[in-house]
Amino acid sequence: MRKLRGWMMRLGGLFNRQHKHHELDDELESHLQMSIEDNLAAGMMPEEARRQALIQLGGIEATKESYKDQLGVPLLETFFQDIRFGARQLRKNPGFAAVAVLTLALGSGANTAIFSVVDAVLLRPLSYPDSGRLVVLSERGPDWSGGSLAYPNFTDWKNQQTVFEKFGTYIGNSFTFTGAGETLRLAGVMMSADVFAALRTQPEIGRVFGEDEDKPGAPPVAVISHALWQSQFGGQPGIANQTITLNGKSYTILGVMPVGFDFPYKADLWLPVGPIAPGWQNRDDHPGLLGLARLKPGVTLEQARANLDVIAVRLEQQYPESNKTRGVQIDRLLDQKVGNVRRALWILLGAVSFVLVIACANVANLLLARAAAREKEMALRAALGAGRWRITRQLLTESGLLSLIGAALGLLFAKGLLRVVVALAGDSLPRAAEISLDPRVLLFSGLVAVFTDVIFGLAPAWLASRPNLHGTLKEGGRGATSGRAGLRQGLVIAEVALTFVLLVGAGLLLLSFQRLLKVDAGFAADHVLTFRFNAPPDKYQTPEQQILFYHALLEKLRALPGVQAASVASQTTPLHEGGWDMRFVIEGQPEPPPQLQPSLQVHLITPDYFRTMGIPLRQGRDFTEQENREHLRGTAGNDWGAGLNSVIIDEEFAKRHWPNQNPIGQRIRIPWGEREKQPVITIVGIVGRVKENRLKDQGGLVQAYFPIYQQTLQNTVVVKTATDPVAMLSTLRQQVYQLDPAMPIFGMQTMDEVRNNSVAPERLNLGLIGGFAALAFVLAIIGLYGLLSFTVAQRQREIGIRMALGARRFDVLRLVVGQGMRLILAGVVIGLLASFALTRVLASVLFQVAPTDPLTFATVTLTLGAVALLACYVPARRATRVDPMVALRFE
Amino acid sequence: MNGKPEVWQGTLALMALKTLERTGSLHGYGIARQIERTSADLLSVNYGTLYPALLKLEQEGYITSEWGLSESNRKAKFYQLTRAGRKQIQKETQAWEQMTAIVACFLNPQEGLA
Repeated sequence: MRKLRGWMMRLGGLFNRQHKHHELDDELESHLQMSIEDNLAAGMMPEEARRQALIQLGGIEATKESYKDQLGVPLLETFFQDIRFGARQLRKNPGFAAVAVLTLALGSGANTAIFSVVDAVLLRPLSYPDSGRLVVLSERGPDWSGGSLAYPNFTDWKNQQTVFEKFGTYIGNSFTFTGAGETLRLAGVMMSADVFAALRTQPEIGRVFGEDEDKPGAPPVAVISHALWQSQFGGQPGIANQTITLNGKSYTILGVMPVGFDFPYKADLWLPVGPIAPGWQNRDDHPGLLGLARLKPGVTLEQARANLDVIAVRLEQQYPESNKTRGVQIDRLLDQKVGNVRRALWILLGAVSFVLVIACANVANLLLARAAAREKEMALRAALGAGRWRITRQLLTESGLLSLIGAALGLLFAKGLLRVVVALAGDSLPRAAEISLDPRVLLFSGLVAVFTDVIFGLAPAWLASRPNLHGTLKEGGRGATSGRAGLRQGLVIAEVALTFVLLVGAGLLLLSFQRLLKVDAGFAADHVLTFRFNAPPDKYQTPEQQILFYHALLEKLRALPGVQAASVASQTTPLHEGGWDMRFVIEGQPEPPPQLQPSLQVHLITPDYFRTMGIPLRQGRDFTEQENREHLRGTAGNDWGAGLNSVIIDEEFAKRHWPNQNPIGQRIRIPWGEREKQPVITIVGIVGRVKENRLKDQGGLVQAYFPIYQQTLQNTVVVKTATDPVAMLSTLRQQVYQLDPAMPIFGMQTMDEVRNNSVAPERLNLGLIGGFAALAFVLAIIGLYGLLSFTVAQRQREIGIRMALGARRFDVLRLVVGQGMRLILAGVVIGLLASFALTRVLASVLFQVAPTDPLTFATVTLTLGAVALLACYVPARRATRVDPMVALRFE
Repeated sequence: MNGKPEVWQGTLALMALKTLERTGSLHGYGIARQIERTSADLLSVNYGTLYPALLKLEQEGYITSEWGLSESNRKAKFYQLTRAGRKQIQKETQAWEQMTAIVACFLNPQEGLA
């Protein structure tokens, strides 16, 4: 405590020190006088008495110094002194300060922004308590993973496993909500009570459902999101036990989940899955269920995998028909959520750290140049007794000031950049809502500032603190900087090398993006608008009613001026995540065992879909309205595919299964249910192949189109217009409204937008890495230019002498350009080698471009070389203008 | 200096406190003289360290100071013990005695600690 008090007093002493100093003077004076008096009293002569007293008192100045040190905090005082001095220095050189601060702001700002993305998306745990132990379970086969669970498999896993404390299943589903007046489509999740128990998130109001409500026959209940509570129930506190009407059925609201609860995505409501589970007793049926579990304390992911693998093998033997080669996939919840962006984000962070290093190198070069200019000052300081550490400290404080201002400015830049990143990323970046400049990010930014200060400040400071006293003072502050030239050149070489790597990376991404955009997605995207609607099952109970609705709607749409074609598709339009696949066998060929049967991707459409979507019909014909109606009649028994007669397949289907035959007229069978009832379907047409999920897709399942005939609650209307489709949006909406005002429509998107969105991750990667590479390029060129200009200025005298001795302008030009080109060459060679080693990490994000694409490497080498040459040429030309007389007289 | 051992760093503070305990209020020169006199002029006080040491004691609250007049009517700064200072003397004295006892053990190993 006393020590603390002492320090407080010392801190206080920083302020009224002037007064204290006078006191000490007085005190010492009285001490001296008393001492003299005593000496006089002892019989000394006055002169001698004074001399002895002074000797006894010792060095007054030294006493004052140590008194002063005890009075305040010396380190702190010199620190403030350094800051004041540093600020004065910066004000004196506003140009230098502005360039340095701006460079650092760009470097640290870009890093802060990317770090905040990496931190929010990859590093921070999910918002559930102890979220590291949450895992997602799915099914996997020999060459696929992430597949849906069959409900019977889920129950078997659940009952036999010993590694999970809670284990539930969930499936996304959408609901039509009829509130006061408007009809909305809500994103719902049906899940086991165990999912809530595993997540452990508490509702903000009321409660979540429990085991009793998660059973067949239990009264319908729902838990709603904070957003839905606010928007549809006005945030009224008495929400629990009110009812909500979904799909025409009334559900009791049990509780409200807090803001930010987004399992498994941002949903509006959560319902128990138990009441509908009895519909999934077929082990062959994979309706879209996934599993969520919480590992027991102490159980590792590997142990859980081993435990479930044993169960899966057992089920394989027990149910070979359905479970042959089916295993269990277990991933951490966080990995499942962000796994697909992890690599891209780390690459970004790597790229942006290059930019920071280049920025630091540039500022270090600036400081070195300035150190040369201040050499005389440093020599004087050293001569007056300043220690090396003291000078280094002063220079570090100056550079620290730069990096602090840079970091502060960088935060503003980061804020802007973040906005661009989030906007560019769109839906492709998970957890984007969690990105913010929070204290962790600020801490990072601070660390970056310290790091940059050390990186760009320490070497120049340390070098500058060891001036060649004798030489410098004698020469009057010119020359004698050769010791630093090596460091400066090294920095420029490093900058060129790093820039080279970044440019190659950006070049590869650019090429890859161009190739991606050129991919033929198999459809004509222009002037095609899609929107979706839910036919509420309470109102459109029979397929007949639904089909009638589609017909009426399509007729109305087709009659509109400006509409060229219109049709309805279900499940999957091109470039759409998700889908529905099923096994098939070819009639007339030996039937393989179930696990070897091929699968096809299901598309359900109305006639004219291909014309609307611009998918070319290669052979055969489109469906007829007649066929639609036939299928409709066949579905009376509700057996899948009953009454199904015709199918249209894609080219790939034809190529894979009938390589040397005409597939038209061939028949396939869907092996579902009893053999006699299995639908046998004739191929009537062949169409072009479309990209199912992503433009990058290669291979994949063969595609098959069937007429829409069964209740499919979610449908997409596709409209081809003659003019701008967006302008027709309200007209189209009106048509639906006229038919059924309670029909919610949503998801309006042109196919151009769909196509654009599908390349959002690639665009983001390219945009950011391209931006960073451009920034690095500019910085490196500035660095090179700065170094050469400085050298030319310093070697003016030498150049003057050379010219006086007969060197021609060309020789001088060659001298300077040669020096620059040597640096560039060294940088390019190192960059080339580094690129070969580093671009391999890009392989997984590249599309149809090799990480060592020679064209990219050559282009980057040439571009970098050409621009760098220009950066050399300008100072070199200045050198040729040196007037030998002026240069020599300058001395 | 003049062949006399100087006061050890760290013990100077205790000596100054002890001196003030005995004399009441005293100025810096007086404290120095008293210390030397108490040691029968065997010790010499380095004034360069005395004043910073006094300042430190004052900052830590063991002594206070005020300006007054010396016996020869000279303006001088007088130091005085505070209550915390008295406690500190006890503590330091104990610590010092313990220390000397331990050192004594090493110098005369056969005696051992009592």
